[in-house]
Amino acid sequence: MNPSMRVSSLPLWRRPWVLNSAVTVASVGACLLLLPSRIPGMQLLGVSPHWLLIWVVAWSIRRTQWEAAIAGLVLGLLQDAMTSPDPTHTLSLIVVGVLTARLQKQRYMQEDIVSVALIVFAMAVIAETVLALQISFHQLISMDSLYPPLGKIWLFHQRIALSSAILSSLWAPALYYPLNRWWDRYSLKS
Amino acid sequence: MFALRRWWTRHALKAGMVTLAVSSAWLLRASDGALIYETYHWVTRPLQAGLSREQQFENSYILELQQRIVELENQNRALQTLEAYEDTITPEGLRATVIGRGADHWWQHVILNRGSRSGVAVGYVVTGPGGLVGRVVAVSPSTSRVLLVSDPTSRVGAKVSRSRAMGVVRGQANNRVVMEFFEKLPDVNAGDVIVTSSYSRLFPRDISLGRIESIDLTKSPAPEAVIQLSSPLPVLEWAVIHPFAPQETIDAPVLPGTDPQNGLVPDGDGAGL
Repeated sequence: MNPSMRVSSLPLWRRPWVLNSAVTVASVGACLLLLPSRIPGMQLLGVSPHWLLIWVVAWSIRRTQWEAAIAGLVLGLLQDAMTSPDPTHTLSLIVVGVLTARLQKQRYMQEDIVSVALIVFAMAVIAETVLALQISFHQLISMDSLYPPLGKIWLFHQRIALSSAILSSLWAPALYYPLNRWWDRYSLKS
Repeated sequence: MFALRRWWTRHALKAGMVTLAVSSAWLLRASDGALIYETYHWVTRPLQAGLSREQQFENSYILELQQRIVELENQNRALQTLEAYEDTITPEGLRATVIGRGADHWWQHVILNRGSRSGVAVGYVVTGPGGLVGRVVAVSPSTSRVLLVSDPTSRVGAKVSRSRAMGVVRGQANNRVVMEFFEKLPDVNAGDVIVTSSYSRLFPRDISLGRIESIDLTKSPAPEAVIQLSSPLPVLEWAVIHPFAPQETIDAPVLPGTDPQNGLVPDGDGAGL
């Protein structure tokens, strides 16, 4: 009996792709619920880990650029929903996804927890920089912008980028490890 | 045509999933994330303050403390009647617990556990222990999102309580805010109390903000003062939501004496904007 026939005879909710999508969506949901919470030990200078960024890095690390970009777009829209659509978070998360997918990990570094933490550190800095660039651009082109002057923006950026990068990279394995294990098992099964 | 059909049979599932993911994310964005904040409210419900009375009563030590609180409350009530203090405490207002903070690093938001089901609407003003906290920028049925006065995009019309010097308060993403004065040589001293001014379109007048910490009169284009906020925004645990209808149309003419409640009528102490 061929395996695809066996699979299609399973009830819908036990088919691998349904299970996989459910786990993926649930992990995104958990990240979204973690965003507004400030659990003791999870914040530094009022900044908490950027869970969506960790998720995008974990997703993109072994996928193509297009898949990474779509994940960045979807999660960016979700974060826009929770904060404010201007400046948009989609741009920074798409950039993070594409860059992570383009990294030639097999050539330069091994795929272990430490290198993932390093990638998250760099990507957190890049994501906050993209946001700061958007804010600066907005400040430069519109006369009655509500944003503070450029010097202040980049002062915020230094503080935010550094604490977000440190915290996100420390918490990255907590999300990366279980998700990656699950996706490994799923790809083995199918 | 054949290639298109072959592509479709191979990628139909993937394309469907991508469309589903993007469109549902877009829908969530269009609804300001109301669904996410509703879920957050229900998930964090056991952690919110004011629950599980049974456990409290099991603990006799807490019971003893509660009895002491009752005694203190009685004393407090007596003092309040003496001072007629209750008039200055806002008469109408909705108490809410802070259940979350901003979902990214650039915005200074808090999430409160009261929403449109309790009658909260966008534009309502939020105060807390120490004075002004911010204003409601989005609501879901049981949560509301508050933009704090410490947010860099927040602007509050303010005045020095002693000399009535007017200015605008801008947030700086920490517990200190900057006030820009309209006059070149304002009459201000370190330690002066700052309250919201009657020119403010988004906030009612005379809510306390904080005290002046330092002044820089040489600053261009306008003199500036650093203000220490009196409400402890980073550790805020509860707040009070006050109904308020903001005047958002900047160009609408304002007739003096039309409505003293809208916070726009000059009270005769400023020289105008």
